[in-house]
Amino acid sequence: MDYFMSVLIPMVEGLGVTLSVFAITLVASIPLGFAFTLMARSRIKIVKGFAEVYIYILRGTPLLLQLLFVYFGLPLIPGIGPFLTFNRFPAACIAFGLNYAAYFAEIFRGGLLAIDKGQYEAAKVLGLTKAQTMIRVVIPQMIRVCLPSVSNETITLVKDTALVTIIGVAEVLHYAKAAVNRDGNTFAFLVAAGIYLIINFFITLVFKKLEKKYDF
Amino acid sequence: MNQVIKVTNLNKSFEDNHVLKDISFEVNQGDVVAVIGSSGSGKSTLLRCLIDLEKADGGTITMDGQDLLRDGNFAPPAKTREIIGKMGMVFQHFNLFPHLTVRQNLELAPKIVRKQDTGAMVKHTGALLGKVGLEDKIDAMPGTLSGGEKQRVAIARALMMEPDILLFDEPTSALDPELTGEVLNVMQELAEEHMTMVVVTHEMGFARSVANKVLFMDGGIILEEGTPEAIFEHPKSERTKEFLQSITRKE
Repeated sequence: MDYFMSVLIPMVEGLGVTLSVFAITLVASIPLGFAFTLMARSRIKIVKGFAEVYIYILRGTPLLLQLLFVYFGLPLIPGIGPFLTFNRFPAACIAFGLNYAAYFAEIFRGGLLAIDKGQYEAAKVLGLTKAQTMIRVVIPQMIRVCLPSVSNETITLVKDTALVTIIGVAEVLHYAKAAVNRDGNTFAFLVAAGIYLIINFFITLVFKKLEKKYDF
Repeated sequence: MNQVIKVTNLNKSFEDNHVLKDISFEVNQGDVVAVIGSSGSGKSTLLRCLIDLEKADGGTITMDGQDLLRDGNFAPPAKTREIIGKMGMVFQHFNLFPHLTVRQNLELAPKIVRKQDTGAMVKHTGALLGKVGLEDKIDAMPGTLSGGEKQRVAIARALMMEPDILLFDEPTSALDPELTGEVLNVMQELAEEHMTMVVVTHEMGFARSVANKVLFMDGGIILEEGTPEAIFEHPKSERTKEFLQSITRKE
């Protein structure tokens, strides 16, 4: 029990960091992802092209590599490098936010495709503007379609936060590894697994509630 | 009689498919116009051009003296909105908003487009649901309604915006046969109240007994136009006769 506590207490500190990376990424990448969805549907070719290339690159390369690139690579760019130099934690959040935005953009794009064109037509003949149609008619239906995929992606995000340890951000796995290396005992890994499972238990619960709310 | 819609030389193609060929017709206030014809004759496209769901390629569409389209040139967006705002439309597949209750379906547009005050709107909602016989469904979700009920809600929703003209695009084609009657009855009531209506339909009974003008479309033109009596009892063209025979055989 004492050993359990000695392993757990530093990990709780790491848990704060894990949850921060998780929350910041989620809050930033969902609106950003939706913006990319809209851009990818734009009639302006250059806007559409930019969004498509962005999504292609961010989904097509490893998140771990993107993390290393933001932290180590950006500062080395001649000229603008000094302005793109970030501390560990913000670098982690930037890489995660940009990466997850690409995934959410694809999820939302699929959600929009599922909405019948009759919905847009009904809104139009009732006099709704395009923005009103989006906000009142399309987005609520899109949310319902996307919820299972967003839930899946959110659970993946919790686990992916473990990657930030590679640039030295001290989150749950960072402390688990430290304990394992120090004590030559892999028990700390089990504790870490338990922590991720507990987080995901609550996330699953929240999404179940949301799915019920959006069940119409 | 006040002329409310005037269409002159309307043309519309989808790529190589010339769907509407130099269509001209008029609708007077209080008219109930039934547009009949086989699938692919262009009747739905014609209706959709009237309310800007399809962009015609050429011709003139005038509503209440205002040009939606003049010799192939469209009115500016704000003007277009104003003109099509005088019309309501009822779709084949209802197109109710599935995430909103019946009440919310009816009140969405009055609330956010007209910024109507709640008291008057609530009265209006109750009155219109009463008219279509669905007062008890006010808090129902569309998913729980039958097809006939959905279509009656859709009619009430269109009426909430107090249109001068109602367009119906095959309003009973997606319904089980035993449910068409309840929708046609509502439409007949509207006709008796002198609502101006343009109805694309396969319901010959409705066209015959409720409409005062029938357009028979074939291959992108209005092949024959006249009173129900003239079209159904004394069709002039062979094609009209054939169509009517084939459809009465089916019925």
